[in-house]
Amino acid sequence: MEKAIVLSVSVFSACLVAGLAALAAAFGDALAVRKAFEGMTRQPEMAGKLMTNLFISIGLIESIPIIAVVIAIVLVFTDVVVGKL
Amino acid sequence: MEMHAGTHHVVQMWGLSFNMDTLYMTWLTMAIILIIAFFATRQRKMVPTGLQNGVEMVLEIIGDQLKGSLGEHFNKFSSLLFTFFFFIFISNELGLIPSPHILVSPTSDLNTTLGLAIASSVSIWLIGLRVKGVGYLKHFFQPFVVFVIFHLMEEISKPVTLSFRLFGNIIAGEIVLELLNSLAPYLTPIIWLVFSLFVGIVQAFVFTILTTAYLGMAVADEH
Repeated sequence: MEKAIVLSVSVFSACLVAGLAALAAAFGDALAVRKAFEGMTRQPEMAGKLMTNLFISIGLIESIPIIAVVIAIVLVFTDVVVGKL
Repeated sequence: MEMHAGTHHVVQMWGLSFNMDTLYMTWLTMAIILIIAFFATRQRKMVPTGLQNGVEMVLEIIGDQLKGSLGEHFNKFSSLLFTFFFFIFISNELGLIPSPHILVSPTSDLNTTLGLAIASSVSIWLIGLRVKGVGYLKHFFQPFVVFVIFHLMEEISKPVTLSFRLFGNIIAGEIVLELLNSLAPYLTPIIWLVFSLFVGIVQAFVFTILTTAYLGMAVADEH
């Protein structure tokens, strides 16, 4: 009985974590890309440099949501939580 | 469904456990890099052609990015940084070759990425000590003595974020690839594979350029 409760709660919380991580990654990337595109349209000769910095920034911004997705995957696919019962 | 993506073939030796598939894939990555380096440096010409041209192009593109952060010290540390880039790039792309559970990225194992991140952090400390002497330790206590806590937390968080960023990206890519293959084979995995190729390059580049930025901060002359 407890195992069923623990399993269902962990799956539900994994969904919550993954959804919030997706929201955070999307909005964070959108903030960065918005300003990068604005800069690129203002000064087309800087487009290459801006694009490079944009990719670096997106790699950094998405690091924490990806860690959150790893936590969600670990909750669903391994028995770290159930094993403690 | 049986998920093969995060599991490893573990061998117990001398009281320690080794993930043998990660080790085999690491050796395969090393072999690929050595073969490319060997064939790119035979009969070097002043006007490069063929493989030498390709490798020089990659080195030039990445090198221009790194020179901005390092400045005059670039020639001393460029080998280390290019090693990081090529190793991580080839490891990331190795797991994308379709094979029946034989090929897997070595960077999809947290041990590999932690090893790379700790190697980059330790080499930054050692290089800082060599370039600036004992004065490198002085910067931990600036601007006030109490700031040593923040600097220590920063020094711990650098390898942790480096390793987890790389590990999370690659393992998430492999898990989604396996899921898509079991749900909708033959078409959607190809689309995800193309995106994963791009993510592999970006993550290798981000690791290298972050290491360069940390190195630039460690050997910078002024504060």
